[in-house]
Amino acid sequence: MAPSANVAPQRSQRAASLARRETLTAYLFIAPYLITAGIFTFGVLAYVFYTSFTNLTASFAIANVRFIGFANYVRAFKDPNFRIALVNVFWYFVVVTTLQTIGAILLATLLNVKLKGMRFFRTMLYAPSVASAVVISLIFLWLYLRTGFINYVLGTNIAWLQDPRRILDFIYTPLGLTNVPVFFRGPSVAWVAIMMLNIFTTVPTFMVMVLAALQDIPGHLYEAASLDGAGNVRSFWSITLPLLRPVIALIVILGTIGTFLVFAQIAIMTQGGPLNTTLVPLYLIYQKTLGTGTSAEAGFGAAMSFILAAIIIVITLIQRRYIERSAQ
Amino acid sequence: MAVSVKNRPIAATATQHHQPTSFYVGAAVRYTLLVLLSLLAFAPFILSFLGTFKPNAELTAYPPTLLPQAWVDNGWSGFVSSLDNWKRVWNFTLPSIQLAPPLSSIIGNRVLPLWLLNSAWLAVLNVLLRLFFCSLAAYAFARLRFPGQNFIFAVVIASQAFPTEVTLIPGYVFYARIHWINTYWPLIVPDIAIAFGIFMLTQFFKSIPRELEEAALIDGASRFRTYWSIALPLARPALLTLAIIQFQGVWNDFIKPLLFLQQPKLMTLTVGMNFFKGVYASDFSAILVGAMFNAIPMLIIFFIFSKYYMEGSSYSGLAGQ
Repeated sequence: MAPSANVAPQRSQRAASLARRETLTAYLFIAPYLITAGIFTFGVLAYVFYTSFTNLTASFAIANVRFIGFANYVRAFKDPNFRIALVNVFWYFVVVTTLQTIGAILLATLLNVKLKGMRFFRTMLYAPSVASAVVISLIFLWLYLRTGFINYVLGTNIAWLQDPRRILDFIYTPLGLTNVPVFFRGPSVAWVAIMMLNIFTTVPTFMVMVLAALQDIPGHLYEAASLDGAGNVRSFWSITLPLLRPVIALIVILGTIGTFLVFAQIAIMTQGGPLNTTLVPLYLIYQKTLGTGTSAEAGFGAAMSFILAAIIIVITLIQRRYIERSAQ
Repeated sequence: MAVSVKNRPIAATATQHHQPTSFYVGAAVRYTLLVLLSLLAFAPFILSFLGTFKPNAELTAYPPTLLPQAWVDNGWSGFVSSLDNWKRVWNFTLPSIQLAPPLSSIIGNRVLPLWLLNSAWLAVLNVLLRLFFCSLAAYAFARLRFPGQNFIFAVVIASQAFPTEVTLIPGYVFYARIHWINTYWPLIVPDIAIAFGIFMLTQFFKSIPRELEEAALIDGASRFRTYWSIALPLARPALLTLAIIQFQGVWNDFIKPLLFLQQPKLMTLTVGMNFFKGVYASDFSAILVGAMFNAIPMLIIFFIFSKYYMEGSSYSGLAGQ
């Protein structure tokens, strides 16, 4: 008997069959993901991409669907509603992302001390952000009434959600400037009102992320800075902010995606009005796809979706690159 | 890494050791600001909760009242009578909703309990399915070796960078073609194994020691058995965090039910309230009560599990990087 002679091939055979079994098991385990992602993420994506090149009208009218090339895309760029929706959402993105990022950093800084009760305050401040956009929208629909609490507290008399005046016109008009292109006239009063409630709910969400990053900054850095004579403000600018760069990049990117996809607030509070000043791409796409308040043109809706997705991807890529580069 | 968030030392400013007076002043300013901000954060909820006890005329009158007039005027009996508003909304029916037994024997034709039930079972079912299928896939990525592993995991990560919400709405056409409109299928099936959950749990499984599992495998336990009875119990904190994030996501979801559940009978609370607002646009007292039915369960869950929420936030931070 010479067992040593055939142990090696036997062992490698066993190893191979074990590896095969492991592969089989692994694919069984990830099959639910592969199947659902394959059909409902990538499959739907491909299907929608295809429909964006067709004249598909209502979702049920699949007869007579013709391939029309880039016509939907060309039309989207010429469509006055889509253009105004892009202008609106761009202002929304700029104002909301900026203010919620600053707000989140300030709030997290306020909470980042070794004092009693900070956990309690963190919980209390975070709580509003667990409410759905629907709840917040319904509540603010009431608070923003002409007779509501917001006017009462501010001492104003504004029909917030019905006011189409663009805010930069308040500067242009006294100066006698007329015919300013719509982009440079800023968001409408109604749009500003919705921006404010959005900031109200997103600041706490991002605050928690900033706070986690703040608590990762080693305390000895501040001690060293203070020995060198740096005050609190100086330390904040030269130590805290630079070290927060990754988390700032993250919340700016998440904020950008979130603001470009704003939908529920519009659907519940204004339906795009007054005078289309709160119309956003996603709401327009919704109207066009289902034909609510307009004719159903699903192919056109799909084309607008891909333009919107491309804009989001390009902007977040630029943000990523810019923030990474300046970090070096 | 988020798992280590818990016992991290909190950064303290060095100045507080050297300047006790300014430290106390600073603390006082900080507390004052935090109390004011917390009040500001809760004001909309407190005001609208109090608002649910006011009749419509009082809700839209100027100047707005803080406490319901009935409470101020009639005390306890005023409070009892103000509950009628909640009862009125709870008992709302719609002509288009005729329920069949056994459900109708419990809630009659009331729409609010119906929408609450729809939201609840959808959220629970979705959470359970996602926990199971995400953890199963995550276990494979963390513990098994198989060809294509790195590529597929890269797809899991990359697919989170694409704003899928954008194609959700035009994707309506796809679901219409497979006749899934006005069914619950589009709200359940596509998301049973979401990329975020797989990614998060893979990271978690990688962070826990594998010795226990190896012992079980040597004893002849199958891979599934090892996953189910050893790895899964160890992953309980991560599973709970994921469960809470997902529950909130489904409970609060608006776009999907709006697209796919167009019959009032099928609606969840969020779209139901939107539908309701369309029918009774000026009935603010009913709208506020409905908002409370949506918000209060979520707030209760939040206060019970707030620790896991904070952890969840740092996880979602992780996924975006």
